[in-house]
Amino acid sequence: MSRAVPFGALLGSEWTKLRSVRSTWWCTCLYLLTVGGSGWLAAASTDSSARATIAVQTALTGFGVGQLVLVVLGVLAVTTEFASGSVLVSFTAVPRRTRLLVAKTVVVTAWCLLLSAVLAVVCALAARTLTAVPGGVQPTDPEVLRILGLQVASAGLVGVLSVALGAVLRSTAGAVGLGTALVFVLPPALALAGGAIASRVSQGLPALRVGEDAFLAVSTSWPVGMAILAAWAAGTWIAGAALLERRDV
Amino acid sequence: MIELDGLTKRYRTRVAVDDLTVTVEPGRVTGFLGPNGSGKTTTMRCVLGLTRPTSGTAHVLGGPYRDLARPMRRVGALIDPRARHPGRTAYAHLLALAQSNGLPRRRVDDVVEMVGLGSVAHDRVRGFSLGMGQRLGIAAALLGDPDVLLLDEPVNGLDPEGIRWVRELLRDLADEGRTVLVSSHLMSEMEDTADHLVVLGRGRLLADLPMDELLGAHAAVRVSSPQAPLLAGALQRAGATVELQVDGSLRVNGLDTADIGDVAFETGVRVHELCRVTASLEAAYLALTGDDVEYRAAVP
Repeated sequence: MSRAVPFGALLGSEWTKLRSVRSTWWCTCLYLLTVGGSGWLAAASTDSSARATIAVQTALTGFGVGQLVLVVLGVLAVTTEFASGSVLVSFTAVPRRTRLLVAKTVVVTAWCLLLSAVLAVVCALAARTLTAVPGGVQPTDPEVLRILGLQVASAGLVGVLSVALGAVLRSTAGAVGLGTALVFVLPPALALAGGAIASRVSQGLPALRVGEDAFLAVSTSWPVGMAILAAWAAGTWIAGAALLERRDV
Repeated sequence: MIELDGLTKRYRTRVAVDDLTVTVEPGRVTGFLGPNGSGKTTTMRCVLGLTRPTSGTAHVLGGPYRDLARPMRRVGALIDPRARHPGRTAYAHLLALAQSNGLPRRRVDDVVEMVGLGSVAHDRVRGFSLGMGQRLGIAAALLGDPDVLLLDEPVNGLDPEGIRWVRELLRDLADEGRTVLVSSHLMSEMEDTADHLVVLGRGRLLADLPMDELLGAHAAVRVSSPQAPLLAGALQRAGATVELQVDGSLRVNGLDTADIGDVAFETGVRVHELCRVTASLEAAYLALTGDDVEYRAAVP
């Protein structure tokens, strides 16, 4: 009996799958343009800011909408396999389905993290060059670094959540719809609805912008926000893995 | 080697595979026959671990498929020629598969040439015809140079040249000692390709026997004579069953050509034609599955 395929080979296979379809590149361009463009615009239209953190938060505004593109990217990476039937071939090649899902999640999440890291740097540069702040926006400022790091990390978790939603629902429309509702529509809608219960629920949803400057949603402290997003991503992923193992294809 | 033991797959309202016990041996081409909906594809999916059996087991190379460490090196499968992302190129499709089983990139080039897709390997598969899809599916099955091949309707949609190519390929693979299970509804194709047959009807095993045996069981002798009624009577008295064909010839079962010649001589009947006809696989198959067709066109 030959030894199992190294995990790196599986990652290579999933990367080949991700890079060889156009939707990945459409989503990538759209994400870069939306987040980078609106970050630059937001920074340019903010002449001055009292603190570096506020200037950077302003420049990161684009992530609020932009991460919807990551939802589409992550969901498509899974659901197109079911829609096209290529999942039959994938599961025949790799019968250990959870291992396959891990590889796919790692590749999609790594791509989300990479793009978001590039964008975070671009947005910070925009704030530094376009917005006047007493003392300037210093790249070594721990507060600024924390804000950027949170943004990148939450983008990664949105990637995990999207792949997981795809694995649970198997349908592009269903998974994109639910993903959008969870991270984009419900948190602000419930926040607008007001009332103690609605606010609580809004805080308990995986919002796109984590921390004090929540994107239209009811804000939480950043550790709570990250914990909630991580819990959603992990819970959905475990459900997705369990369903993949259990269901026929 | 593929071993099915009491394999049963029940869906909510119907039984797709019903207590199937079959061993598919290496070194020969085993044809897998049955009407639409008789459970061929479900059986293959169970072998590949894509579908979980309700009860019973489907083992390949001595264990469950899911336990194979690098399955493409042991088992090659073609389940559905449309199972591919339309926006991906043929090359990328095969490369992702090769990588997932730790196979070298060189194998992708090899199989692309082998199945004759060299000129379109870097085109998106969206525009592929059914026949090109079949070639791509066969390329994927051959990628790991496997010991066992399961091919579901591989010649469907292929041109005559492609059909002949698949036939010779299956022959060669079996001669190399591999296990080859191939389903088809094209009887003439099976007749030329398979050594052994497994026939399903409504999920149950109808026959598991060598091709020659099935055809032999339905063989007959064709006799034509200007005095056909006289000869028919004499043959029936000699114990044969005789059918009058539309062209006026007789189809005789139960006597061989020598006996029939002797009877004709003794009866003093002139014979213009006397030959043994092996039943077509199609006729033998229809005789076997006649009662077990699940979907039949209604006669208006």
